[in-house]
Amino acid sequence: MLKKGIKLRHWRRLSQVLCFILFLFLFIKTDYSGSNELPYVVNILFRIDPFLAVSVSLASKALIYLMWPSLIFIGLTFIFGRFFCGWICPMGSLLDASHSFIPQTRPGNANRFRSFKFYLLGFLLIGAFLGLPAAGYFDPFSILVRGLALSVYPALNVLATSFFTFTYLQMPAWVNMLTEPMYAFLKETILPFLQNHHDLAFLSFFILVTIFILERLERRFFCRSTCPVGAVYAIVARFSLMRGKGGTKCGKCRNCMTVCRMGAIDEERHISPLDCNLCMDCVDMCPGNKISFGFQQKEVARPVFALSRRTFLSSLALGTALPFFLDTRTMAKSPDPYLIRPPGALPEHEFLGRCVRCGECMKVCIGNGLQPTFLSAGIEGLFSPRLQARTGYCEYNCTLCGQVCPTGALAELTLAQKHVTKIGNVFFDKNRCLPYAKGIPCIVCEEHCPTPDKAIQFREGQVLNSKNEMIWVKQPYVIDERCIGCGICETKCPLPGRSAVRVTSAGENRNPQNALPAQSLLY
Amino acid sequence: MDRRDFIKQVLLWSAGISTSIPSFRIGSELLAAEKAPAVVSHAKGKNYYDLVARVLEPLGGIGKYVKTGDHVVIKPNMAWDRSPDQAANTHPLVVKALVEHSLDAGAKKIMVFDRTCNEQRRCYVNSGIQQAMESIKDKRLAYYHPDTRKFVPVNIERGKAVNRLEIYRDAIEADTYINVPIAKHHSLSKLTLGLKNSMGVLGGNRGNMHHNLGQKLADLATVIRPKLTLIDATRILLRNGPQGGDLDDVKILDTLVASADPVAGDAFATTLFNMQPDAIPSTVAAYKMGLGEMHLDRMQIIQA
Repeated sequence: MLKKGIKLRHWRRLSQVLCFILFLFLFIKTDYSGSNELPYVVNILFRIDPFLAVSVSLASKALIYLMWPSLIFIGLTFIFGRFFCGWICPMGSLLDASHSFIPQTRPGNANRFRSFKFYLLGFLLIGAFLGLPAAGYFDPFSILVRGLALSVYPALNVLATSFFTFTYLQMPAWVNMLTEPMYAFLKETILPFLQNHHDLAFLSFFILVTIFILERLERRFFCRSTCPVGAVYAIVARFSLMRGKGGTKCGKCRNCMTVCRMGAIDEERHISPLDCNLCMDCVDMCPGNKISFGFQQKEVARPVFALSRRTFLSSLALGTALPFFLDTRTMAKSPDPYLIRPPGALPEHEFLGRCVRCGECMKVCIGNGLQPTFLSAGIEGLFSPRLQARTGYCEYNCTLCGQVCPTGALAELTLAQKHVTKIGNVFFDKNRCLPYAKGIPCIVCEEHCPTPDKAIQFREGQVLNSKNEMIWVKQPYVIDERCIGCGICETKCPLPGRSAVRVTSAGENRNPQNALPAQSLLY
Repeated sequence: MDRRDFIKQVLLWSAGISTSIPSFRIGSELLAAEKAPAVVSHAKGKNYYDLVARVLEPLGGIGKYVKTGDHVVIKPNMAWDRSPDQAANTHPLVVKALVEHSLDAGAKKIMVFDRTCNEQRRCYVNSGIQQAMESIKDKRLAYYHPDTRKFVPVNIERGKAVNRLEIYRDAIEADTYINVPIAKHHSLSKLTLGLKNSMGVLGGNRGNMHHNLGQKLADLATVIRPKLTLIDATRILLRNGPQGGDLDDVKILDTLVASADPVAGDAFATTLFNMQPDAIPSTVAAYKMGLGEMHLDRMQIIQA
């Protein structure tokens, strides 16, 4: 039995700090480190997430082996209750840390929206099963890692770079004696190796910030009312062995009720394991030392979910109905040809079902080629990764994105498999391509083409240049059988603005519907 | 204008004191110095450490180019995410030997870098050069990735096809710049040799160099003047250059070519591919600008 004495909440805080540091460490290590194999399990946070495990399993109608660590936390929650939310969750720790900066506007600890998360969970799970994968829009880790990877972390680098560029260019030498080693140290440790640029940087940031702004309504508002991971843990915690007990004969100071960050304690000082995240504040702050957590507390009544049946059924109905609207859109008939999925991506429907929008692949992408999709894959494809080859290309000898994907939406490929995985095909725009349009020699694309037998070849062609001279010039063309769609040609095309060579999803391995026209068998 | 003036301009510009873009005009006295017949040395051997020393001997040894207290830039080609046997990057042992010989010659600081084409960390690691550099335990050696803040715009006053380029500061300021290219096939320039390797000190959109590449490389060569060019032909890439990837395209020669004349070195190395110097546009353009010798019969070619 846990008794007070040593301050329990200090242990909890220590655990939060350590887990958060571990989280940041793994986040920063989600990067190339001198070998193509990542030395750390950088995606572990997503693989211990039971909500994502259930959602992804429902979506793919299969048990996802990668997600087995989530069973450990289901088991631990069955014993201890929602300890994860109070002791481990990095999002919860951030909210706790920011509490004093974002105080609640109105007094009271009513926990008015606690049921919402269950309705949302029902909606998300049935939606996932029927083909509307939206788990990643509400999962706290997806929101957090995506927000950090797409906006906060790159912004941090902009800040550091502009500061140290200023000192480097404008400050006297003695200042640089201090700042340059500092910059070098930061680059070694916490700053990214290169400046990344991302689509939807603001949107990702805004969604993350919203969770903090909601603290104005109630403390840990997101955790109490929205978090689907919390909802899964709450359901398990309903049956947890360890639970808290309030004092029966006490002075009714209501300290515990006020102090509870989850609004888990009612007027009668019942501590609901559905909400309690075991932060231990009440134990430490009860003036009469009346509150304790333990295993043999049979007299504590099992809590009720107190859901409205009508609302719950409505949310299920919504989750059931919406997926059928998705196929009414034009994109069901003709998908965006510039939607290039990373190598190893499953067929589109299965890919979206499994993708939890965590942003890990975009964080690790060594060429800054993977970008979050906005609406071109539909509302169910928001934030899913796509190769945007004008910003960056898919590095030929790199397989990192498949290694970090926590759900197998991107299969982990061997290098040999990667080399023959066709994610798209390039097309030349002869109206823009210099050797065709202007008779200017170029073929930068051919130079960079990485396949050992180059997919981009050239032939000498005669062109009238702008001086009306007929000249011979090397003109590039693509051999479809060799092109894997890595997009380095599009990235490196020296034309300003739009590239004269563009990757499309045509010919991608994962979709036979997208096969390129061929006169004979390709392989 | 002499080099000293130019470096002063670069310093002032970098420090934000001067807003006028540094300009470089190669002086006639420098060109006159090249009038003595160019010496090209070549040597064959399996032990690359000895081979580097051997090939430099007819040119006066490393000590003629690296003086005590010099800041030295050694610029290999490590542009591609390819392994040493694929012959896309300078052989790590050649770079290592050159660094060690330069250290022995009393260099105060040696800088090794390249602006790569593939992702830079992958190139440094997989070219084998990072590991080779790590194995040299000497504080005077610095190998690093180019810092984007240190590219300086430079007016190329003698440029015919390009008149301004962004050039890496360390490459301009070094007392001794040693170019260590690998000899390999390239479909636009036909071969990449010394002059082409100088593109690794450029910032900005380098693809634009490809429009009239030969002349632009010659223009660049008026500013980037290596004191020594050591061409790595230990293995050469015959097809699918400049990055290769297929070992069938690689031919082992175990050869090094060295010259203080950047054009002569390239010209001689061209013959290793059974081609004549005039087949390489950059060689011809640089020769016409008076930057060096391209006629084999007017050079002193020494087998070491």
